[in-house]
Amino acid sequence: MRKALLVLAVLAVVATACAPKTSTPTSAAAGDCTPSTMNLHTPGQLTIATGNPAYKPWYGGTSVAGSDWKSGKYTGDPHTGEGYESAFAYALAQQLGFTNDQVTWEGIPFGKSFAPGPKDFDFAMQQISITPQRAKAVDFSDGYYDVNQALIADNGSPAIGVTTLAGLKDLKLGAPVGTTSLEVIQQEIQPNVEPGVYPDLDTALKDLHNGQLDGVVVDFPDAFYGYADQIVGQFPPLSGGQEQFGLAFEKGNPLVSCVNQAIATLKSNGTLKQLENQWLQTDASVPVFS
Amino acid sequence: MTRAVDIQGLHKSFGDLEVLKGIDLAVDSHEVICLIGASGSGKSTLLRCINLLEPIDAGSITIAGEEITRRGVNVDDTRRKIGIVFQAFNLFPHMTVLHNVTLAPHEVLKASKRDAERDSTALLERFGLSDKASDYPDRLSGGQQQRVAIVRALAMRPEILLLDEVTSALDPVLVAEVLDQIRELAEQGMTMIIATHEMGFARDVANRVCFLHEGQILEEGSPEQIFSEPEQEETRLFLDRIIAAGRM
Amino acid sequence: MASGSGPSPNVYFPPGGDSDPRLPPGSDSRWPKILGGGDSSARNVWIAVGSTVIFFGLIAVIVVRSPGWPEIKDSFFNGAEFRSSFPVILEKFVRNIFIFCVAEVLVLILALIIAVLRSLPGPVFTPLRIMAAAYTDLFRGVPTILVILLLGFGMPALDLQGIPDNDYVWAIMALTLVYSAYVAEVYRAGIQSVHPSQVAAARSLGLSRWQSMRHVVLPQAVRRVIPPLLNDFIGLQKDSALVYVLGVVEALNKATIIQQGDFNFTPLVALSLIFIAITIPQARFVDWLIARDQRKRQSSAAV
Repeated sequence: MRKALLVLAVLAVVATACAPKTSTPTSAAAGDCTPSTMNLHTPGQLTIATGNPAYKPWYGGTSVAGSDWKSGKYTGDPHTGEGYESAFAYALAQQLGFTNDQVTWEGIPFGKSFAPGPKDFDFAMQQISITPQRAKAVDFSDGYYDVNQALIADNGSPAIGVTTLAGLKDLKLGAPVGTTSLEVIQQEIQPNVEPGVYPDLDTALKDLHNGQLDGVVVDFPDAFYGYADQIVGQFPPLSGGQEQFGLAFEKGNPLVSCVNQAIATLKSNGTLKQLENQWLQTDASVPVFS
Repeated sequence: MTRAVDIQGLHKSFGDLEVLKGIDLAVDSHEVICLIGASGSGKSTLLRCINLLEPIDAGSITIAGEEITRRGVNVDDTRRKIGIVFQAFNLFPHMTVLHNVTLAPHEVLKASKRDAERDSTALLERFGLSDKASDYPDRLSGGQQQRVAIVRALAMRPEILLLDEVTSALDPVLVAEVLDQIRELAEQGMTMIIATHEMGFARDVANRVCFLHEGQILEEGSPEQIFSEPEQEETRLFLDRIIAAGRM
Repeated sequence: MASGSGPSPNVYFPPGGDSDPRLPPGSDSRWPKILGGGDSSARNVWIAVGSTVIFFGLIAVIVVRSPGWPEIKDSFFNGAEFRSSFPVILEKFVRNIFIFCVAEVLVLILALIIAVLRSLPGPVFTPLRIMAAAYTDLFRGVPTILVILLLGFGMPALDLQGIPDNDYVWAIMALTLVYSAYVAEVYRAGIQSVHPSQVAAARSLGLSRWQSMRHVVLPQAVRRVIPPLLNDFIGLQKDSALVYVLGVVEALNKATIIQQGDFNFTPLVALSLIFIAITIPQARFVDWLIARDQRKRQSSAAV
């Protein structure tokens, strides 16, 4: 009995000792956006998180020695600077005053980009669509890419030749989880056949090639990468307004304002547009589903 | 008249240990043979060999003129003709008493369920167990369970019945009811080979008594001969020990 | 010192402690009557309740006062997210139920076949025994998630005729193959636990090897292993969530859809609650079965 009371007493002391730390939010003034003054996870480095595998056309090139990323038919390596997001990342870093070798990459599962608690990186860049709901959990930068969706299919699929959203209703479609692609299926098509929802693009494509799926919805630039035999069509923008990709930061991270300034500059001096033209094929001649 | 059981030169070893060292035994129909002897003398092994539960190493066993130890014998067929009851009753705990009795007649003799139940109920009645028919074995006393085990063996209408120390595991008060049942069977002419420690019972019911000693039938004869005037030294020693233990 | 001349002047804290002969033996008169003084079992209940409240209360305080708690609460225990996601996840959970119920029926049958194959005696059956043992080793040795991935993506590529090309089919097949390996071992243990004297009795009556197995051994064997069978079934129920990797939109998949769409982990917590709600009663039921079995054994031993 006495021992039990002792244990309880110890626990009580521990409880009161674990006082909550008062967090010290730092606010960034306009002049604080240099590599030596901004709020970084690792001083002197810009740590960017993205998924592994990293898919083309967002990440390309041949994998660099010692990198965690393996390049292949559908995948690339963020370290190469090839691919839209990789190129954008290095352009952004340069704009912020970093050299190329001051940029480090972290491979993370998607959930880590928005899990609560301190992050192991400065921001996540992973074709993340900005939504108000998500903005409750993370702070988004301004959008850096306007996102549209397209449908791809293999030869012989009943999706080939369909031009209307209604015509897609009875098809078995698929998309990776957590993407705008899935929302497009649910909102715009409202199919009668339940879509397949996959952990990543890779597994969705496998089922497409197996014949389990009639088509896969992907980000428009992906459609040109030969993931499937044909591009069936592109989708009109979602009802909530034009979807944009944004960088995801830990809530309250003052680094956002510095990055936003840099993005604004890259937009106004045409760099973003040039990167788009270089890395992302979008063909206006692909029909839009009506 | 064909002998019911004819055993010649039976040898049986377990690994290096030879347990039966040449058994010769002839049993006529309707005869009751009692096997007596110390534990380890081979009584149980002998019975299990007759029933083909144990393969033999040498010799032959012939039942009703048919040699059952030759190659190519259908073991299951043979076992139908030979009933055996064990010391540990071995009733099937997941079946009622009646089902225990009807299982083999239904599955092996291919009797219809109705016929099997009718005949089994009659048998249980004959031996005073009909009120236990729908009980599970765990509700019966040891003596009742053993009697059911005997009825279960009888339901197959065996030509001979082997009883392996069937009362040794029972409470002394329950022994009598089982012995009575066996006595009745003997009176009805059942051919039986009974391994037992119950000397008084053996004296009563046996036509012949065989004394087993270290794997051989050392002496055999009528009960009076064996119990009153044993010829062999070992027989006498064994009987003395039994008397000293108050079992005769 | 018994007085019998009227009540003691101090009813609530009588002197004398445990040695006071006026109180029932084993009770502690240092406690006021209202808290169970004079009755040791009631006192024990108060101590149990008290220490439980204090212990868990302290843990709750430590957790809630930790610096990251508000974030965690919002991210994992968000009331609005819970209310909106719970019904849709529950609706998809019906698919998990379908998957594990169908799989369990197939498992019970396939595992029995494997266990019987493994128990077949005699040299002529050696290849069957080897096959059954190899099967068991293979499917107990590979992680379930791998089996699901390999079957789910490999089978359709084989393009076999006659089997419906459906992710549910591959998922159920994978779960069945894996769990049959475990359950076969459970059956085998049950078969081996049936005393050989039962088989001896059955064979002596003229029943064939197969008849003995079917009527005497298997009924007893299966009854004995019901608790481990149930435990494996509970494992199967939980592993039904693994099939999400094939694209099947069952409860876990639905939960991750919401999680990744809303950037909030509460749907996963909601799904965990659903699993707990179904598995805990089963676990208690297994405990009850085991306890009842032990009581039966003790009472028959006493007889």
